[in-house]
Amino acid sequence: MEFLWTGSWILVLVLNSVPIQAFPKPEVSQDKSLHNRELSAERPLNEQIAEAEADKIKKTYPPESKSSESNYSSIDNLNLLRAITEKEKLEKEKQSIRSSPFGNKLNAEDVDSTKNRKLIDEYDSTKSSLDHKFQDDPDGLHQLDGTPLTAEDIVHKIATRIYEENDRGVFDKIVSKLLNLGLITESQAHTLEDEVAEALQKLISKEANNYEEALDKPTSRTEYQAGKIPEKVTPVAAIQDGFTNRENDETVSNTLTLSNGLERRTKPHSEDDFEELQYFPNFYALLTSIDSEKEAKEKETLITIMKTLIDFVKMMVKYGTISPEEGVSYLENLDEAIALQTKNKLEKNSTDSKSKLSPVPSEKSHEETDSTKEEAAKMEKEYGTLKDSTKDDNSNLGGKTDQAKGKTEAYLEAIRKNIEWLKKHNKKGNKEDYDLSKMRDFINQQADAYVEKGILDKEEAKAIKRIYSSL
Amino acid sequence: MARCRGRVLLALCAALVAGGWLLAAEAQEPGAPAAGMRRRRRLQQEDGISFEYHRYPELREALVSVWLQCTAISRIYTVGRSFEGRELLVIELSDNPGIHEPGEPEFKYIGNMHGNEAVGRELLIFLAQYLCNEYQKGNETIVNLIHSTRIHIMPSLNPDGFEKAASQPGELKDWFVGRSNAQGIDLNRNFPDLDRIVYVNEKEGGPNNHLLKNLKKIVDQNAKLAPETKAVIHWIMDIPFVLSANLHGGDLVANYPYDETRSGTAHEYSSCPDDAIFQSLARAYSSFNPVMSNPNRTPCRKNDDDSSFVDGTTNGGAWYSVPGGMQDFNYLSSNCFEITVELSCEKFPPEETLQSYWEDNKNSLISYLEQIHRGVKGFVRDLQGNPIANATISVDGIDHDVTSAKDGDYWRLLAPGNYKLTASAPGYLAITKKVAVPFKPAVAVDFELESFSERKEEEKEELMEWWKMMSETLNF
Repeated sequence: MEFLWTGSWILVLVLNSVPIQAFPKPEVSQDKSLHNRELSAERPLNEQIAEAEADKIKKTYPPESKSSESNYSSIDNLNLLRAITEKEKLEKEKQSIRSSPFGNKLNAEDVDSTKNRKLIDEYDSTKSSLDHKFQDDPDGLHQLDGTPLTAEDIVHKIATRIYEENDRGVFDKIVSKLLNLGLITESQAHTLEDEVAEALQKLISKEANNYEEALDKPTSRTEYQAGKIPEKVTPVAAIQDGFTNRENDETVSNTLTLSNGLERRTKPHSEDDFEELQYFPNFYALLTSIDSEKEAKEKETLITIMKTLIDFVKMMVKYGTISPEEGVSYLENLDEAIALQTKNKLEKNSTDSKSKLSPVPSEKSHEETDSTKEEAAKMEKEYGTLKDSTKDDNSNLGGKTDQAKGKTEAYLEAIRKNIEWLKKHNKKGNKEDYDLSKMRDFINQQADAYVEKGILDKEEAKAIKRIYSSL
Repeated sequence: MARCRGRVLLALCAALVAGGWLLAAEAQEPGAPAAGMRRRRRLQQEDGISFEYHRYPELREALVSVWLQCTAISRIYTVGRSFEGRELLVIELSDNPGIHEPGEPEFKYIGNMHGNEAVGRELLIFLAQYLCNEYQKGNETIVNLIHSTRIHIMPSLNPDGFEKAASQPGELKDWFVGRSNAQGIDLNRNFPDLDRIVYVNEKEGGPNNHLLKNLKKIVDQNAKLAPETKAVIHWIMDIPFVLSANLHGGDLVANYPYDETRSGTAHEYSSCPDDAIFQSLARAYSSFNPVMSNPNRTPCRKNDDDSSFVDGTTNGGAWYSVPGGMQDFNYLSSNCFEITVELSCEKFPPEETLQSYWEDNKNSLISYLEQIHRGVKGFVRDLQGNPIANATISVDGIDHDVTSAKDGDYWRLLAPGNYKLTASAPGYLAITKKVAVPFKPAVAVDFELESFSERKEEEKEELMEWWKMMSETLNF
């Protein structure tokens, strides 16, 4: 679990060193009152519901979960809000598709007509009344109960808008207006972009959650949803620390609590998947296919690794080391690799979404793609041994896994060289493309023959065949 | 700058994921290494040659890697199993692996027959990888070699012994531990002693080649033969090997037949009929090894008697008598010419020295391989063009014959000179041809043999013609 510690340690560092400020704070006193008010755990239920509605978050969230969500104490500018409220409609949907990460929103794919539907019927009476209240508010500066909108609210509104319109241009328009008016700086615009992106992700993940909930095992998930939400939201809040006067200690302690909580949990790991799983649909499928009873430990470790990885990427995006697009494309690459494994191993056809995603990563960095392939084969190999493992002996892990890793690397490298040489060799000849399927057949045949003769063991043969079939 | 950092971190994450997966996974190693957990260091040098000792699993992996990289020109097979059940693995490199192309000579390298003589084993693994790499790089010498030869490499004939030797703790390995196979049999004393028979035949008359005719069954039933020995004997009988080398350790010299002294004394130069070509072959190896061929080299051990060493070569008997060895068995039971190469003063040197052993020997190994394309080669066919298998090719002045293989193809290694070659087969009339043999390449000489019956027919026809002519002339 060292990864997790490193991750959380870095998280802590970042939080301590970078107070992120997205919006200017014109009125400090008001901030304080708001802030103090929001810190109280004893907020009236109605208020919380109102806030939840204003944020345009799905109603499947249990109301009490909102208590731990932090709110910004800063006030946004009039123009921004006006622009939003003009366009805003109160909508909620149950989405049935999992959309691609926001970076691909630029391509304006996956336009679903259902997004534009106004869902009025499905909500309880209190909400509809609140809707009315909201619409009465001309400048949109205030929440349903009259309190001014917080920055987070705004972010969420923008995110929702983008989600509904499926058009990133909304954001661009708003931001350009703000920039032109000199109300925000470039860096603030970037940070706003990040916030909106994250809010968008949340939205998407919630959509995905509901969809999966409907399809898959409902029990484990709904069970944990309540507990999961506050934990998930807390780091978001913690990161957007710049808006609050919260003590750093509190933030740190929250973070630590979070990571401790994550660590202590064994079964509850599944609940963490929800938000991140928008990036890893195939990973989730893979997870579910692992028998929880038999290989709980492996499952847990896999989940932890994925979580840590996602945290890292988030960290880097937040820190500005990489752009969100890069982070997303990296995660897409990873998911692609997982997709390959899943496809081969579980024989599911999950290529639809992948084909959409693939143009983007391939243009990005070839190193990443190559390493993904290698990873893919590595994971392939290890997944194969994982499935067939019957031993519980952990003491031998160290030396043996080193050897396994080295062997797989060596085999992969050898196969790569072979394919390269064959390609080059055949170019000189008459054929343009060497016959991959013939090669595959030949390799399959040879591998089987070798297993029979005791030259290869079954695992190796399987791995080799898989590597070739994934080419 | 931030971008670069980002990518580095991304790569780190990739490694994390991979590492994480591996942590969760449990590897299953077949034939798990024996006790004495050796931390495996991957000294990845150029082109995937890792200069470290390979235990049995690693040996297998290394060969599989070569095959995976060069599937078009390689094939792995096994000639049998050791006493403890380890496969006696061979990797074959050829432009058509698995197939004997008529006219293509067959070569073999065998290493680690004594389990504790480890350098040969490793050199052969390195060689396999090297040949594959160089072939793909387009190295002309290697490409031509692989296209014109069928190269068989058996890194270890005694994997059981090696495991025993390698399992010893510490760097200093005992002179004897792991030498013999798991039954305690010294494989290089275990082959049928054909030298004895030859020496008798020399005195009383009799053949000095292919002395194992009809003895295959005897071999199988002989309980004294180790499974490794039996496997190799079958291997030699099945494939028409032309040239071979047997890699050992404990000294630095290229040793050629005969190994067993004629008179039975401890040291005596015991030349075989092909002494000239053998000296040339041995020199072809030693001269490319700077240490082996160094005339001023001090002996491996202070009191060693290396008086028989000339240019890094020695006659077997002159050095010390070895009965029942594999080298002489090759020469006396088949067409294959084999020498014994001692690669290192220390039988099981430290791992760090392996790379330098490779550097010292790689040119020798290639040079020796090329020797197969020397002398005379060709086909023995009948008048209809059908191949005649098992025809005898004898050389005037050299009391040692070779035979043609299934496709009628033969190869006769000869030192430069003028020779008379005779091809003969039962039921056929022998044909003799004069050949001038250069140092290299091999001269092609084909024979078309006329069978007796054909000859009779011819003679009959001739007779009929004469009778016709006579009768016409004399009018009867």
